[in-house]
Amino acid sequence: MTITESDLPGVGKKFEIELGGGEEMIVVIHNTGKREVFRRSGPDADSEKAFEFSDDLARTIGSIIEGAHFQPFEPDTQETTLPGGILLEWYELPPGSPLVGETLESADIGNRTGLAIVAIQRGEEVLDSPGAGTTLCEGDTLIGVGTRENCAAFEEILTE
Amino acid sequence: MALLDVGVMFVAVAVAGAVANRLGQSVIPAYILVGMLLGEFVLGRVALPAVGTVYVPETEFISLGAELGIVFLLFFLGLEFNLDRLFARWRPIGTAGTIDLANFGAGLVLGWLVFGAFLPAFLVAGIVYISSSAVITKSLIDLGWIANDEAEPMLGTLVYEDLFIAVYLSVASALVLGGGDVAAAATDVGIALGFIVGLLAVVQFGTPLFDRLVATDNREFVVLRAVATVVFVAGAALALGVSEAVAAFFVGMAFSATEQAHTIETILEPVRDVFAAVFFFWIGLVTNPALFADVAALVALAVVVTTPTKVVTGYLAGRAFDLDARRSTRVGLGMTTRGEFSLIIATVAVTGANAGTFDPVLAGTINAFAVGYVLVMAVLGTTLMGYSAPFESIATSWLERDASDEVGEGG
Repeated sequence: MTITESDLPGVGKKFEIELGGGEEMIVVIHNTGKREVFRRSGPDADSEKAFEFSDDLARTIGSIIEGAHFQPFEPDTQETTLPGGILLEWYELPPGSPLVGETLESADIGNRTGLAIVAIQRGEEVLDSPGAGTTLCEGDTLIGVGTRENCAAFEEILTE
Repeated sequence: MALLDVGVMFVAVAVAGAVANRLGQSVIPAYILVGMLLGEFVLGRVALPAVGTVYVPETEFISLGAELGIVFLLFFLGLEFNLDRLFARWRPIGTAGTIDLANFGAGLVLGWLVFGAFLPAFLVAGIVYISSSAVITKSLIDLGWIANDEAEPMLGTLVYEDLFIAVYLSVASALVLGGGDVAAAATDVGIALGFIVGLLAVVQFGTPLFDRLVATDNREFVVLRAVATVVFVAGAALALGVSEAVAAFFVGMAFSATEQAHTIETILEPVRDVFAAVFFFWIGLVTNPALFADVAALVALAVVVTTPTKVVTGYLAGRAFDLDARRSTRVGLGMTTRGEFSLIIATVAVTGANAGTFDPVLAGTINAFAVGYVLVMAVLGTTLMGYSAPFESIATSWLERDASDEVGEGG
């Protein structure tokens, strides 16, 4: 990552940021506080102005890009809502979970929590409509369908 | 009535600036033209129905405002001037700036051929030499070239020109105000150069002093102390017979090293803009367009000679910064723009005439020449920059083909 900083007498400062593939982003910070952002598609191309911001807006945008406003992260559980408020949710079996080693029949998930296990992802393969004799292993991802209460109940027996 | 005159002036420059901006042109020619239109030489010649003859006279406030305009323009030049930056990039800037001096030589020859005397030739040389920082910088921003590689040689050459013009102005005003006598002129130039050396020493060693002067959070005090320093020093310089513009330049340089430099720049920018507009308006007021007929041939000659010379020196400046033919052509086209500093040089002659040390007729001619020349070159330069594409393709096809021929022969 190369960033070149240069002075623009009477105007302000210029920052050229190499983006890879010959593409460059150029930020001109005026003495007045105004920012201009340009894009240059190659070393011989002309800079095309993309954006212009006031000082305040530029600082806000800067903090958004920096991640101070929102930290992107991948959540542990993923859920999708089906029509009627039914959730499609998946859980990874953590090490030490009481469910590890049980079969679907002996774990009795359906009767204890109301959540129906519709598929199990184990490594690269997916077991859909797993039979009652299927043994649960550490690291399995269980895909279940149920209400929010069913999910909450399942989350309890998952770890305790 | 004086307040009304000033009001009319500000309304006129405000409207002229808006119109020029709408037309995509620099505001400077617009301010000059509107000053000329409302002055005694145009509006003053027209008998209006009902009110008779009314025009904006050159009141003391307007001429003093114009003088403050010069002081603030040069103060900002100094404030934005950075010796470290100049030395850091000395090789290309020095090369580009030295090539650029060819325009001064061209002006000197031109002036000598027309006036047959050294002093007018020296003034003409300065007028055609110096490009306009204000107009070029604005065009660079408007066209988005500011983010391209061509911005550096242009701004770099302007920095070199600024330093040259600071020395030039002090010599020129000493020569003009000294009256022609060689021995007296030599003494005056000596005083002027001594004054510059003194100011340079202040700039070099006085930073803590200037820092303390403006070290306050109160913006009102910052603005007052900065204005007080620059106007007082400029006034004192003028009283000593030294160019007030040069003094203002060095005061600006002294402030540029302080921590408050950016604050001073931000809060004094509107002050500079107001008085600079007054200066351009005043230039229009004191210019008799009837004199244009006398200087038309000289203006045409200067345009025909110094447009190509600037294009060539600008092109070579771009080359000194390792730019390709296309970008170097842009540098050349942009540098043709002349503006505020050519007019400031012309006012040296006017000041000399008012002080009785310079032939008033010659001063009128030189002023009319400078105004006519700047009106043409500011518009021409801005237009050339806006429509640079055909020139770029011509330059690329000529010059790059030659270059590839050479390579072909070599291999």
